[in-house]
Parts: sequence; C-alpha cells; structure tokens
Amino acid sequence: MESKRSKYILIGLSAFCVLLIGITSFKDGFLNPLRSGIGYFLIPIQSGVNRAGTSLYNGISSYSTMKSAMDEKQQLQSQVDALIEENSRLQSEQFELQRLRELYELDQEYQQYEKIGARVIAKDSGDWFQIFRINKGSADGVQVDANVIAGGGLVGIVTDVGANYATVRSIIDDVSRVSAMAQQSGDTCIVSGNLTLFGEGRLQITNVMKDSDLKDGDRIVTSNISSKFLPGILIGYAADITTDETRLTKSGYLIPVAQFDSLQEVLVITELKEDMMGDQQESTQTGEQS
Amino acid sequence: MKRIILNLLLMILALTVQNCVFPLIPFLAATPNLLLILTFSFGFIYGRKAGMYYGLFAGILLDLFYSGPFGFYTLLFMNIGYFNGICTKYYYEDYITLPLILSLINELVYNVYIYVLRFLIRSRLDILYYTKEIVIPETIFTVVTTLLIYRFFLFTNRRLEEMENRRD
Repeated sequence: MESKRSKYILIGLSAFCVLLIGITSFKDGFLNPLRSGIGYFLIPIQSGVNRAGTSLYNGISSYSTMKSAMDEKQQLQSQVDALIEENSRLQSEQFELQRLRELYELDQEYQQYEKIGARVIAKDSGDWFQIFRINKGSADGVQVDANVIAGGGLVGIVTDVGANYATVRSIIDDVSRVSAMAQQSGDTCIVSGNLTLFGEGRLQITNVMKDSDLKDGDRIVTSNISSKFLPGILIGYAADITTDETRLTKSGYLIPVAQFDSLQEVLVITELKEDMMGDQQESTQTGEQS
Repeated sequence: MKRIILNLLLMILALTVQNCVFPLIPFLAATPNLLLILTFSFGFIYGRKAGMYYGLFAGILLDLFYSGPFGFYTLLFMNIGYFNGICTKYYYEDYITLPLILSLINELVYNVYIYVLRFLIRSRLDILYYTKEIVIPETIFTVVTTLLIYRFFLFTNRRLEEMENRRD
C-alpha cells in the first residue's frame, strides 16, 4: 500500500516536471524571482567555499610558482623595455588617429564600454556544459544579455541574473553562436562553440561567403549586425579556413584570445547592444524631427 | 528529523564543493558527481520514498543553479532516487559491490540522459568522442569517489542511529 502510494507520487511529480520543462523551454523567466531568492541564501555559501578553496590552492601552488616567477621576471623586464618603446610609438599614432577620427566623425563607433569586474565563483560540475556563475548581479547593474570579457577577448554572455549573481554561458559552450566579422575585411561569419573542438582549444567559424577575403590569422571581432553582442570585441584569430564541399561558403576554426580553463576574474560590460540600438534610433528620430 | 536536516545540508555542501572547488583543481580531468552519489546512496539506504524526496531536493538545487528549462534535473534525480530505492532490500552494511555497480549504472544513465536530450536532439552525432572524452572519465571518478563517500556515509549514519537510539 505504502509503496503504491509512493509510486503514484513519483508518477505525479514526474509528470509535473515534464510539464515544467515544457513551459520553461518556451517561456523562461517567470521562475527568476525564485532563483534570485535562493541566490540570497546560496551565493554567500558558494563565495565562501570558493574563497576558501582558492586560498588553499594558492597557498600550495605559490611555493612551486616562486621559482618560475623569478625566471619570468627577467623575461618580463626585457619585454617591458620593448613595450615602453612600442608604447611611445603607439601614442604618437594615437594622436594621429584621434585627429583622423575627428575628421571622419567615427568616434562613436569605437567608444569605450562601461565595465565592472566580477569574480567567477562556480562552474558547471560536469564537462557537458560550459557555464559559470559570477558574484555580481542585477544589484550591480548586470543585465541579461550583457557581454562578458576577460584577457582582452570575448568570454560569453549573461543568460540569467539574480540579485547578487549572474549565470554566464561561455562562447565555447556547444549551443553558443556569435555573429562575428573579420576586422580587416569586414566579412561576416558565425563563430559557434563545439564540444568536440573545445578539447583542442578551438571554436568553429562557419557561414563565410566563398568570395570573401577572410584569411588564416585574421582578427575576428563581434560584428556590427549582431543583436546581442556589442560590436568590435575581439574574439580570436582565424585558422585553417577552407572552402566547403558545397562551394558556396567557407568555414574554418577560431583560436580564442581568452583563456577559458583558468578563468577567475572577468569583466562584465554593463551596456547592452539593445540599449545602444535604442539610443541610436531615438537620436535619429529626434534628428528627423529637429 | 535531525538526520534529514543533516542530509539536506550535506547535499547543499556537495553542490557547492562540486561547483566551486573542483573546477579550481587543474589536474582533475573530470569531476565526480557528488550530488548523484548522495542521491543514490540515500535511496539505497532509506528506501524508495525517501530516495525520491532526496532526489527531488537535489534536482531542484541543480535546476535552480542552471538556467536551462526548469525540471530537467529534478525529473532525472527524482527517478534515480526512486529506482535505487528498489534495491534497498538487498542493502546490508559493509556490502560495497552493489553500491559500486549502482553508481556505475546511475552515472551512465545520467550522461545518456544529458546527451540524448541536450546534444542528440541538436544532431550532434559524435557519440564516440563524447563517450571517450566526457562519459568515461567522469564515470571512473564518480565510482572511485563512491567508494570513499559511501563508506564515510555509512559510518556517520550508524553513529547517528546509535545516538538516536540512546536518546529513546
């Protein structure tokens, strides 16, 4: 009797789960208050455990890194010298660029985005998904679809925000697709994550027009036409571009700039592409009126 | 009652360790699925009904953590808890072979569930690669961890039972 009842409960709860999966697949979002509420309780624990783990690990590894750090310091010193020289050269070029930009009124397109720093506090446990969680949320100005960068390159996009946390899907996740373009030639392409390529540290580039000028080693940045990614963020470098069997498109691989296996701190761009487009629309509208 | 609260806290701890500490350790090729181990151990030791509820709790925790469709993990973990509970009639202490076999089966079910519902339906057919790179390492790690955790768990469980009996 007892076991029969629990069987019915199991069937009932399973059906309820299937129903929930169905509903939330199409309309994700109405559970966000619940997730956010749990976040208040769970995030401090996660942050604490993460900090303890990090400090423990750092304590152990600092010994072994000491020696290699000394060697590295020597190398870096010479690198610094070279960079100082390069910097002064670039500065003079910067002034020139400034002048030219004013000339072309291009400064709006290359504006600096506002960013906030965040710490990675948790990652997906298995290897199936490349999702992680950061310790900044809507209270700090992070919104859904905010772009996340680290180490000079695009890392991912915020998919879910609570009051004090946000969940980020990295661009190496299997479902991730980023609309991108070659910085030099402006040819558009799609950069998609792929679990089988992730092991080699690569992403996939597809949908390149066959007569485009995309070459190996080209800088690939987020494109102007993407609806979610801000334009001009570096993603990585193209490699092994070949023409597809259909002879209509080319495809290849992308080597990302960001280091995904050692992510600890990331920057979240608080501006959204949506807002930017909204602003521009407004300004064009007012421009028409005036 | 006390034991239930303790077990639930243990599950939360398992989730945090699994998500916050294991990814930091660079030499781990794969991470053991602690929450899965706990769920099936509870089911195996306490029976179907308890296993089902513990599985429900573990699944909700995971679903709250990830931003996929809600209920994806709950459905799986609840059923794992329940079906491992069926084997509870073969349960007696210090018997480690059956838990290990169960752990292996559970881990395979878990990975096949994720693969079919999240990858196969998007026509990612490279099943050999996924098996070699993800499923096998994770399964090995989980089974080995089961060996440790299940023992530890039996030990604390017996202690708690003794304490409760003494009080009665």
